[in-house]
Order: sequence, then C-alpha cells, then structure tokens
Amino acid sequence: MSRAPMSWSPRLAVVLAILAIVVAACGGATTSPSTASEAPSSEAPSSAAPPASANPNFEGMAYPESGEAPCGTADYSGIMKKITAVDELTVEFQLCAPDPAFLPKVAFSVFGIWDSDYLAAHAPDKSYLTAPVGTGPYTVTEWTPGQRLVYAANPNYWDAANAAKTPGLEFHWSAEAAQRLIELQSGNVDGMDNPGADDIATIQGDSSLQFNVREPLNTFYLGFNVTKAPWTNEKIRQAIAMGIDRQRIVDNFYPEGSEVATHFTPCNVPFGCEGDPTWDFDLDAAKALLQEGMTEEGITSISTKLQFRDAVRGYLPDPPQIATEIQSQLRDNLGIEADLDLQESGTFLDNNAAGNLDGIFLLGWGADYPDPTNFLDYHFGAGSGKNFGEPFDDIAAALTTGATSLDDAARQAAYAEANNLIKQHVPAVIVAHGASGTAFKADVSGQHASPLSNEVFSVMQAADRDNLVWVQNAEPLSLYCGDETDGESLRACEQVNEALYSYEIGGTEAIPHLASECAPNDDATVWTCTLRSGVQFSDGAALDANDVVVSYAAQWDTQHPLHIGRSGAFDYWPGLWGGFLNPPAS
Amino acid sequence: MIQFILRRLLVTIPVLFGIVFITFVLARIIPGDPCRAVLGERATDEVCDAFIVRYGLDQPLPTQFVIYVGQLAQGDLGDSIKYSRPVTALLVERLPTTIELTLLALTFAILVGVPLGLISAVRRNSPADAGTMIFANIGVSMPVFVLGLLLAYIFAITLKDTPFALPPSGRLSSGVTVTPLAVVWGLEDLQGLPRAFLDFISGLYLFSALISGQWSAWADALRHLILPAIALGTIPLAIIARITRSSLLEVLGQDYVRTARAKGLRENAVILRHGARNALLPIVTVIGLQLGLLLSGAVLTETVFNLTGAGRTMFDAITGRDYVVIQGLTLVIAVIYVTVNLVVDVLYGVLDPRVRLQ
Amino acid sequence: MTTAPTTAPLVEAVDTARPASLWRDTLGSILRQRSAVIGLVILGILVFVAVFAPIIATHDPDRVLLGAEDGVKKRAAPCIHLLGCPADQPQHLFGTDGNFRDVFSRVVYGTRTSLPIGLAAVGFAIVVGTLIGAVAGYLAGSADNVLMRAMDVVLAFPSLLLAIAIVISLGTSYINALFAIAIVSVPIYARLVRSSVISAKENDYVTASRALGESGYGILTRRIMPNAITPIIVQGTLGIGTAVLEIAALAFIGAAPIGAPEWGSMIALERNQLFTAPHIILAPGIAITFTVLAFNLLGDGLRDALDPRLNR
Repeated sequence: MSRAPMSWSPRLAVVLAILAIVVAACGGATTSPSTASEAPSSEAPSSAAPPASANPNFEGMAYPESGEAPCGTADYSGIMKKITAVDELTVEFQLCAPDPAFLPKVAFSVFGIWDSDYLAAHAPDKSYLTAPVGTGPYTVTEWTPGQRLVYAANPNYWDAANAAKTPGLEFHWSAEAAQRLIELQSGNVDGMDNPGADDIATIQGDSSLQFNVREPLNTFYLGFNVTKAPWTNEKIRQAIAMGIDRQRIVDNFYPEGSEVATHFTPCNVPFGCEGDPTWDFDLDAAKALLQEGMTEEGITSISTKLQFRDAVRGYLPDPPQIATEIQSQLRDNLGIEADLDLQESGTFLDNNAAGNLDGIFLLGWGADYPDPTNFLDYHFGAGSGKNFGEPFDDIAAALTTGATSLDDAARQAAYAEANNLIKQHVPAVIVAHGASGTAFKADVSGQHASPLSNEVFSVMQAADRDNLVWVQNAEPLSLYCGDETDGESLRACEQVNEALYSYEIGGTEAIPHLASECAPNDDATVWTCTLRSGVQFSDGAALDANDVVVSYAAQWDTQHPLHIGRSGAFDYWPGLWGGFLNPPAS
Repeated sequence: MIQFILRRLLVTIPVLFGIVFITFVLARIIPGDPCRAVLGERATDEVCDAFIVRYGLDQPLPTQFVIYVGQLAQGDLGDSIKYSRPVTALLVERLPTTIELTLLALTFAILVGVPLGLISAVRRNSPADAGTMIFANIGVSMPVFVLGLLLAYIFAITLKDTPFALPPSGRLSSGVTVTPLAVVWGLEDLQGLPRAFLDFISGLYLFSALISGQWSAWADALRHLILPAIALGTIPLAIIARITRSSLLEVLGQDYVRTARAKGLRENAVILRHGARNALLPIVTVIGLQLGLLLSGAVLTETVFNLTGAGRTMFDAITGRDYVVIQGLTLVIAVIYVTVNLVVDVLYGVLDPRVRLQ
Repeated sequence: MTTAPTTAPLVEAVDTARPASLWRDTLGSILRQRSAVIGLVILGILVFVAVFAPIIATHDPDRVLLGAEDGVKKRAAPCIHLLGCPADQPQHLFGTDGNFRDVFSRVVYGTRTSLPIGLAAVGFAIVVGTLIGAVAGYLAGSADNVLMRAMDVVLAFPSLLLAIAIVISLGTSYINALFAIAIVSVPIYARLVRSSVISAKENDYVTASRALGESGYGILTRRIMPNAITPIIVQGTLGIGTAVLEIAALAFIGAAPIGAPEWGSMIALERNQLFTAPHIILAPGIAITFTVLAFNLLGDGLRDALDPRLNR
C-alpha cells in the first residue's frame, strides 16, 4: 500500500464499461464504447450543443506545450503522452500504451476538474487547500478545522434536476464507532459511516434508523517481509496460510455480507478470481509443513510479532480483536507465539513501505477502480517496492502481461498464473473481504452506501431539515484531492469538484459527468472527451477544455508551477498513470 | 508586595528555560529518522536534505538548541507537518476549546466542591459528611474516560427527547455558528498578530458569543460543554471538597476560633468569618495545582467527547510524530501552567502576608 | 494531594527507647480511623486476589474460548448458574469479551499489573524525590535552588501529557510506563521532603546534635528525616492511587501495550461496546475505581491518624 496509504475507500467502475472498451478497441469500432446512461437529466446542458456556440477565439492549450512525454524512456514510466485542448469543449488524451481502465480512472475524484484561473491564483499560497472552487452541487462555506466542514448548495449547479436536495451539508468526524453511533442515536447527525460490527443489529432494530450495506470490494491480508527470517522460508509461509481458520475469523469478527477470500482480488472485479483458490484450512498439513520449514531454517520454534495499526477500515473492522484472534490461532494451531505490536497508523505505513516490518503484519486494500491492476500491481508488481521485502519476479512478469494485454483470454491466463504464483509464494495470507455500511435516520430519502465509499449527498433529502449532517471516521486533510489519498478527504472533495466521468450513485459503473462522452480511437491509445457546454464553476467561470488540461497537468508534471498540493506527494497520479513527467530524482 | 511579585517572576525565568529545554529534548529522543518519520517514506533524499537544513538538523545539538530558542524568540513555533500549517495557527484554533473546557470544569469543581466541603466539615461525622466524603472518594477514584462515557450515555441516549438531554460531542450543533468577532466588528481587514489574537478570542465561544450578543449560539456552545466539563471537573471537585473539609476542620480546631466561640459569636459567624476565610489558603493552592490535572484530563475528555482542543491535538501529534507540534504545544501548555501558578502564588501572598516574607 | 508540610511533632515527642509502643500507638490510631480500615480491607482483598490469581481466576485470562468451550458467545453477558443462568450456558461471572475471553479472570489478573506498577512507580518516585528533597533542604543555597527549579520544570508539565510523551519516546511498555509515572511524580516528594527538612533543621535537638559533633549525614538521616516520614507515607499512599489511574489512562489512550489483561487497556479495547456490552467496560472500570479508592481512603485515614491537629 505504498501508493495509497489510506485507500480503503474503494473506487471502482463497471465491468461492462471495460468490456465494452476492450471489445470496441479490438473490433475497431469507432462509436462510443460506453453503454452507460446518457446525461443524467434532459435539462442538463447537453453535449449536443452545436459547436457553433464554441468561442472562435478560444486558444487551446496543450501539455506538454510542444512535443510529447518521452514514452518508454528511462526518464518516464508513465502512460500519459499528451493532453490537448482541441477546441473549447474537446480534450484529447494521447496515451503511450492502450489503457483498458481509462474511463474508470478519469471518473476518480482525485482527477476532479478545477478552474485553471482559480488554480493559478490560489495554488501558490495554498489557499485552495481549504477553499475549493468546483462545478459540484455544493460549495464550501466554512471549515473550522478540528470541528466541522460546512457546505451550502450551489445555486447555479449545471444539472438542475440533480441539484442538492438539502440546502445545507455538514461533515463531522469521529474515530470511534460508538461515538458516531451516539451522535446518530441522539439525533445530532443524520447519517454516519461505518457502524461497528456489533452495532448493526442495534441500528436494524431501531425503527428511526436505517442501515445500508456497503458491498465488500476490499481485501484483508496477513503480510510477510520475505527478506526477513523466518519468512524467507516459503514452507513456513505456506504453513501459516494453511494453519489459519479464516472462516472462523469472518464468522465471528466481520459484519454480515463479508466473505472469506479465495483470491487477492475480490471476485466481483473482472479477472479477479482466475486461477486456483488459495490454501484451505488444513491443520495437519500446516503443522507438518511448518515443521519441515523450521527444520530447514534450523529453528525449533517461532516467536514473532503481529504488527498492525488501530485504524478501522472496511477490510479490518475491529483491528485489536482480529489481531488477538489471529494471535490465538497462531498459538493454538501452529504453536507460534506472536506479541501484539500496535503502531501509530502513519508510522506503521511508513514501516511497511520501508520494509521494516519484521513480524506478520495486518493490512488490507480497498478498490480504487475495478481492475486487477489496482489490487495486484500495487502489491506485487515490478515496481511494488519493499512492502513484502522484494517483489517476486515471476508474479511481476505475469502481472505485466495482464496489465498490457487487451485480449480477454490473454488477461485471463496472465491473472490465473499470477494468482497461482501468489498462492505458491504466499507473500500474504489472503483472509477476507469485509463488508461495511452507512446508517441514516429513517426519514432521509435517497440514502445509500456506495461500494466505493463515494456517497453522493446531493441526492439525499433530510426530511424538511435545512442541514444534512454526516459523521465520518476522520477529518479531511485538505480539499484539493489531487494530492490526497484517503477516502475521508476524497468524499469531502467530491461534493465540490467533479471529474470528467463519475461512478453511478451507489454503484460502480463509470458514467459520463462533466464530459458527455470520452471515446477511444481504434487501439485505445487516444481518448477524445467532449465537455458539456454551459457548465459553470461556483465562482462563475465557465468550464472549458483548458481547465481540464491544467487540472491534469498540475498533477502530471512535477515541474508544473501548480504542482503544489498539501504535501506535494500526489500519490495517486503515478499510481494510476504509471509515473510523473519529470519524476523527482530518487 | 511588588518585591514579592518580582521575586516570583525572577524564579520563573529558569523554569521557563528548563521547559524549553525539556520540550527540545523530548522531541529529539522520539525514535525514528525525523525527516522520514515526519514527511513519510516517499520523501526523496532531496526533500529530506532540504528538511534537514530547514530545521537545522545537520547542526550539532547545542547549535540546534540555540536555533530553536532563536525561533521561539521570534514567536515562531514552526509548521505542523501533518497539517502543513504553522503551529501558532493550530493554537489559535484549538487552544480556546481547551481553555473553555478547563475553566468551565474548574468553575463546576469550585462551585460544587467548596460548599460540599464546608457542609461536610461543619456537620462532621453526620450522614451528610459521610455521603459527601464517599462521593468525593469515588469521584477522585473514577477514571475520567469511564465517567465521560457514562455521562454521554445517560444524557444523550437515555434522556433523549427530555429537557435534560445534552449533546454528547462536538462544540456546536449543526446550523449554529458563532460569528467571529472580526466579522461582527467589521475588522476583517485586520492582519497579523492582532487578527490572530481576535480570532483566538473568537474561538472562546462562550466569551465571544456573550460579548457580541449571539445568545442562541452561546446557549448551544454551553450545552455542548456541560458534559465534558462535568466529566473533567469531577476529580478536582472531589479533591477540592476534601481539602475544604480538612482545612476548615484544622482551622476550627485552633485557639482563636475557640476564643471566638467563647466570646459567644454565633456558630455561623464563627465558621464564615473566622473559619472559612482562613481555610481559603490551602483551597486556593489546591485549585492552582488542579490546573495541571485538568490539562491532563483534557486529553482524555477531549477524546471521549470528540472535542478538538489542544489536548487532543497534542496526543495526535505525539502518536503521529509531528514533533514540531509536540514542541510547540507542550511549551505553550507548560507556560500557561507556570503562569497560572505564578498568579496563584501571588494571590497566596495577598491572602497570607506571612508568605511574602519567606 | 496536599503539599502542605506536616511537621509531625508526634515522632519527636515519643520516647525512642520504646519503639514497640510507638508502633502500637500508631497502629491503634490508624485503626481508629474508619476510612483507613475500609481502605486496608479493600487493599487486603486486592493483594489476596493478586497473589492467588491463578486459583481465583476461573479461566486462563488470555485464552480465547471460541472452539474450546461449548456454547461460548462473544461479549456474552455475565452468567452465574447459582443466580439462575441456564445450566446449558457456560458460566462466566463477568461475561466474556470481544475475543471470547473470560472477563472475570482478566479483571482478576489485572491486579497483577496495576498494583505492582503503581507500587513500584511510587517507590521509585519516593526514593528519588526524597534524595533530591533532602539534599536540597539540607544544603540549601544554590544546590537547593537548582534542584527545586528542576522540580518546578517537571511540575510545569501536565503530568499525563508528560507521561505520554515519555512513554512514546522510550517505547510503549509497562516498564516505561512505570518510569514515566514515577518521573512525573518525583517533584511532589522532593518538595514534601524539602519542606520537612527545612522546618526540622532549625529545631533545638538538631542544633544540639550538631553541637555534639554528629556528622551531617547522621543528622540528616537520624534527626531530620524521621520528620518527613509521615507526610511521605500519606502522600505515597495517595500517590499509588493516582499512579493506578495514570496507568489506566495511558493504556486507554494507547500509550501502553495492548493484549495483556490490564484494566485500562481492557476498557480501551472495548470502549465502542459501552452500549452493547457494558459489563466489559464496567468490570475493569469498577476494579480501577475500587483500587484507587482503597489507596485514597487509606491515605486519608493515615493523615488523620498521624496528624493530631485534625483531632478536635
């Protein structure tokens, strides 16, 4: 999880869209590959607006201004080649290589579109971190750090039919599930994220409240640094994978709707469950294998640490309890003594990324977009870093094949091979896919839980109240999400800044949003996006193609004058597009 | 008298210096590479070099200390890494919550604790005394977080929809805003230190809402602070009640009180005029000492009641290795504590002339 | 928590040739204090429980009973067969916790963490504090100044915050928690001892010893220090209560190792269950309260017994 330390918030898009793209690309179709629904509302400004309305004086930008990114050279590992504003409402993305997941990626809220003038004026002094200007249904009116984030409905929202149903929106936050539940039960808030597993029954039994299940699109695993003894021994790792009763963990410590994991990628991700399911619970085999492994290593017992952080996530709903359960299983099933080593969240992630965790570590991953690359490449790909010590070359090779093939059969074969190798090498014991949910007052209409954790509040109506109050796990770090990775920040950004595409409400399908369409060329290396006309930012500026170019370029190029952000890390860009332009020297 | 105050001030200087030194050392001995601990694993060597130079970490420790003191002298507490903002800005935002919470808790402790102690002493060994002392003993023995959780449950859930219901978390209800004084008074153009000061005062919702006449917001802010203040104030309350009782008993046992009684003064007059007044000294001392306890308890109380005050921020900073914030907040909290104790000492001197001569 | 010096004329007034009688008198006056007796009784029970924990506990405190015991439920409410709990349910006096462990046994074993750490922390603080206070008080002058200003510095930090910072700096373990709690309470004892020493130093019998040529060390240990013992005992007793609370607070806030049967961390782990399974929080919560209560009552009782000025 080096790239997206807190991406428990799954961001995913639809199977159909990708299949369609792939089909379109292979079949040479020139029509739109998207089967997604058209403009959300007939009243919405339509892409069908005649090009005549386009400003003839419009000067389209391109990035890089001249030439293109040096695809495939040692200096550049990314797949973005050039972004061009063809005319006022048309943007062209040229890619170095075909990208089957382009649409779900541009739907990701990290790539929200900002007004280029506003960015130029407010990025340098970082004031845009707390005062965003976007095209979304809400605008930020107050952010009292530590306390609350207040929004008001955007009166000029471009999609009048989908304008905010409740005039005000407030975000609160509390790390404790019990505290969030008290707030909801006491009537101080209208909705809460992630009720505790044991509280779900309470909520379901309360007629004034309602619970919405968030389908599992995440994976919880026990990781090893395979360069540190005794985890260097494959047999020991396999023994642990066989010696943990995962069904017992899911039955007793996960909310309803959670599943025992068979593959690292959840099965509802396309190509997710190719290859053999991982090891079954087999105590006798595990003990025998462990003995063999220990003999090879010349040791007679293992005492280690269970390293984890006390951060409640969809994949890990109750960290200390689950850690204790695993500790007990290791002791009772395999005779392995493991001390609980609870670390501060940031420290833990840093230690993981640096390969410093020498025990068994408890971590997980939530989907960003629905493709195995999102799950597997981060962890086991060629550039995956030191999280598991060092990448396995054979796994990495299979993943490279999978990520660059447009052919279904080839991808299937590649991911079957990768999953079988992951099963064999056990860099991680794959445990569970955890369900979570949201709870609202029963009188809130339009309430939902999104599998991607990107709940859309503008469609919710808090009865006749003026404010919809939402309490989530943590405070946003900033409201410029190009440089944020955690779901709590992204959810806050999404109310204000919109991307070219979006995910359907409560679902995973990528549908047109600020763009009425993004269409690929024959080999899916050039994508042409048509913007809706008449879309305004909340400060009154009109949305045009240059805004898109600047919003992307500011993240893409580390030398761009607007490449500023909160920390300057821009983790998601290299994660999704392969690498920065002018990458920082390592 | 002035000489006494000056002497106390003089004594405070080395203490302040020691505090600066300790915060410096504490931040330095927190394990881990400071740059990567703070900026994260992804920080490149380039970034780390810049970081190291910026914080003077390439210098020998004594030099670093001098640099640190130099920054302090300019009122610069550094920038928080987690929030990418100056620590002083965090203070302006978060310290008011803690100050309000602490003062309210102290007020509660004094208003209830002193009378309880008086009653208990006057009616020594009566059921009222026994009851008070049992309450006081349990009060000091109960962890703040257990009491806080219980109060939240009782007042937010059990008493929901009754007039006694109180909010379990946060500082204001949704939709309620305390308009900052800068806005109320049309001073939005104000910049720099005066503006920070004004914003700081505005952060004291109970005070700023009161002086700007925002009555409903004031009431709302007060309602949100009642439960935390009770949870936080209970231990000091119990201690104050016990001290009041014992010091009054001590005074009442002295000769001059016996004399007063012998003169035929009414018992009430004896207790109030001769007893309570002289018993006040240790009570004032103890109240001063309670401040440290309150600031400690604020960490727990702010956690339980989801208030983002200095205590909570401090804890987050410690666990998140945001050592600039650790240094800054520790320093400020310690300075506040020292200042209050200075005031208490002076007050002590006013109340008891003997102290001045020591 | 008073730092008011108690000059305790009691000790010097008694003929030192008859120590047995002194102790009997002292014990007698302690036992006349109701609160001291109650405190001693609770404390006796706690010590008994700690010593005989393996016999008293019904289960292994760390044993996850899932799969090992029929019918065990997660976070089950207390079930006592004698009080009408159906016989087909396993008996758990205080119920079970979120990991199917027996809460009663964990609370019982918790005495083995809180009591020794509290005692050790205060013991350490008393030794160091006494040393500093005695030296400062006896030598006076600049040594006194330096030492006491150092104590002021430590006192200037809210104790829990300083303890958290120390534990995080040294690493989260119970030994480090012990040191942190000890360090933050050293100044209390140093101040106490110093003021006792200063007030005793000028007494005639001390001057007399000095005139008789007794060494400074002898005067300090044999003539002066006995005066400081009473306030130290009283303050130390109260201090153990505070230390137990601080251990729990450190554990609650995550600045102590988790997993061990320790009251504060038991509460921390299950704090989200206050409303669904309150017994898991109340049991250790009450245990903490009673432990602290015992030391507070005893401390109060000792003060009342040893300080005759309070006896009208």
